[in-house]
Amino acid sequence: MSSTAVPGPVGRPRGRRLRDFSARSWVQGLLFIAPAVVFLGLLVIYPLVYTIVLSFADTNAKLKIVDWVGFENYTTLFTEDKAFLDLDSFPPTGAFVNNLKWVVLYTSLSLALGLLIAVLAARVRYESLLKAIVFIPMAISATAVAIIWKFVYDPDPDIGSLNALITLFGGEAQAWYGREDLVNYALIWAYIWASTGFAMVVLSAALKGISEEVIEAARTDGASEWDIFRRIQLPLLSLPISVVTVWLLVNVIKVFDIIYVLTGGGPGGASEVIAFSMYDETFTNGEAGYGATVAVVMLLLIIPIMAFNIRRFRSERVTE
Amino acid sequence: MKRRWFIPAAVLAAMALALGACGGDDGGGTEEGDGEVTIFSLWTGSEEEAFKKVLTQFTDETGIETKYEAARDFLPVIRTRLNAGNPPEVGILPRPGFVDELARDDALIPLEDLGLDADAINENYSDTWKDLATFEDTTYGVVAKANSKSTVWYKPNSFQQNGFEVPKTWDQLEQIVQKYKSKGEVPWAVGAQGRDSSWTLTDWFEQIYVRTAGGDNYDKLFSGELPFNDATVKEALEIMLGQVNNENVLNGVDGALSLSFQDAITRVFGTNPQAEMHMLGGFTGGIALGANPSLKPGETIDFFPFPTIKEENGDPLVGSGDVAAAFVNNEDVAKLLEFLSTPEAGRTWVSTGAIVSPNKGVTDDAYPNDLVRKEADQVKNAESFRFDGSDLLPGTLGQNFGTLLQNIIKNPDNVDSLLDDYQAEAEKAFS
Repeated sequence: MSSTAVPGPVGRPRGRRLRDFSARSWVQGLLFIAPAVVFLGLLVIYPLVYTIVLSFADTNAKLKIVDWVGFENYTTLFTEDKAFLDLDSFPPTGAFVNNLKWVVLYTSLSLALGLLIAVLAARVRYESLLKAIVFIPMAISATAVAIIWKFVYDPDPDIGSLNALITLFGGEAQAWYGREDLVNYALIWAYIWASTGFAMVVLSAALKGISEEVIEAARTDGASEWDIFRRIQLPLLSLPISVVTVWLLVNVIKVFDIIYVLTGGGPGGASEVIAFSMYDETFTNGEAGYGATVAVVMLLLIIPIMAFNIRRFRSERVTE
Repeated sequence: MKRRWFIPAAVLAAMALALGACGGDDGGGTEEGDGEVTIFSLWTGSEEEAFKKVLTQFTDETGIETKYEAARDFLPVIRTRLNAGNPPEVGILPRPGFVDELARDDALIPLEDLGLDADAINENYSDTWKDLATFEDTTYGVVAKANSKSTVWYKPNSFQQNGFEVPKTWDQLEQIVQKYKSKGEVPWAVGAQGRDSSWTLTDWFEQIYVRTAGGDNYDKLFSGELPFNDATVKEALEIMLGQVNNENVLNGVDGALSLSFQDAITRVFGTNPQAEMHMLGGFTGGIALGANPSLKPGETIDFFPFPTIKEENGDPLVGSGDVAAAFVNNEDVAKLLEFLSTPEAGRTWVSTGAIVSPNKGVTDDAYPNDLVRKEADQVKNAESFRFDGSDLLPGTLGQNFGTLLQNIIKNPDNVDSLLDDYQAEAEKAFS
């Protein structure tokens, strides 16, 4: 041990060997990560860089770059494109605002319902059956979810089960996805139906991980069931809750398929969201540069969430 | 630290170059074909079956096989395939505005370059139709099929029971609507849901506008010479809102905005009808007969030409057409386009009852039933013809025009501000 600290001629060859070794391990390491780098580079980083480049360009009918326009796409998007963001009307409207509605309602309700079902289901005997029923929609593709709810919401009470129910109790049938004021909520609810199962399964599993003894001890100490939930279960669930929240947030910022199938962005563009604008501008309208701008905006919204997630993973590694 | 980034960055750069090198293949001259032509269109279902009969005949005569592909999402698919350098050999373009857009960017092969005699092919068509396939004096394709859009579909037996005459003027039509309402019937079904059916509203508007403002204003409006917040537009919208409103339309405006155009047709002519009339193009008959085979043309389903609104503007016909154009230059493609322009191909096609042929050589007897024959006569004998205006609008304006009208029928009080916004958008698109 002490010999290593001795300076002089002995140290030099040793140092060189070390450098040889570190060079070799560097090459080795590179070889190991090469496949991942190639795939990530090809499938993630290259498209990402290209999208950012594209957002400063104007394209032709073949979606090829023909001109550089600087920040024009960005200024148009936020100041002139009323379908994307209209601050002149009150309350503000547009795809961006719709997406905010989605973020708030979808994330909070999916999480709350998932948690509620997970906690309550743990107290009944037919728990697994109940959880299976709530989880089934997770196995259905968003396209099928959209078609199912298209029938549920149909304005004709002979077809739409929701309107059939309303008319049964003497109410008036509503055009759920034909009305600007209802369409977003109708869509959000359908998507909550499809994702509550995910929140429930994760939270239910975490709930099972809380030791019975802790809860028994609390009961013995005279804690009410609400206290147990509020002061023991909820704090212990904070990590899985944040995992689910991040997943739901990322999922909702890029929501597209259910809207595309159920309403096609209508009526009058009232149910468009950011991802929908991106698709529409790029492919239907052939404005790939403008569509890329929308994509970059979406990316900028997702980055903070991802950063939060990565930082949390890091901090966990330290504590464990 | 810095060096660690170097190699991945180099790999990325190399990949970027490699990817960039793909695509870009503008060879000159007509190459020899490989014995198969790929065709891409948006026709599915009965429209696809009808077209395939024409393709079968082509294969029988030339020995060239055909491969047909279809997607309702025509524009997204064609754009991505063009971008990837892998376009179909022949595409059936649903909007003439799109012919111009693609021709401007050199994505289409002119007929002359295919070794075809464009003038000889154009002999088969009148000027109106020829223009659809022409951009800056170059012909880029052949007009494959035509449709009249100035058709109002009704139930002759219901008209007879109620003692209604086929209306010739707008006043007469309004009276029929009033009488239907007083009997507790729903006069119209309108299907204008989302993006895929909003064009039914642009059809309504175009029919009314060409009759209230006249053909010249119509041409000006849709070519950017007349602003969309012009008084003539507001006048036409007022007349349109007199029909497309909560009182006259099945399930009101909200109902119309949640119904697809196909569903709206079956709500009038299906087995469980809920409304009496439907304003939509000639293809309505085919869709209705497909959904409800027990319909009897002339008895339980028929159409009358869109009525006259202002005597001085007459009855211009508004219609639409699809253009077959080449993306790849080879002999097989040239043969197919030439074949599609022949009266013979037209006769086979119209015999299915799915379309009307703009080809002069296709005579009345080729049509299988009275409904299509009547539509063909309407197209042929029109005193003047106007093409579907929203299909001529450049870029995003066409689709957004449908969205605009959705907003207008929903919020009739905001007509002025909605039109102002749209005009601001139009100014940019036309500049």
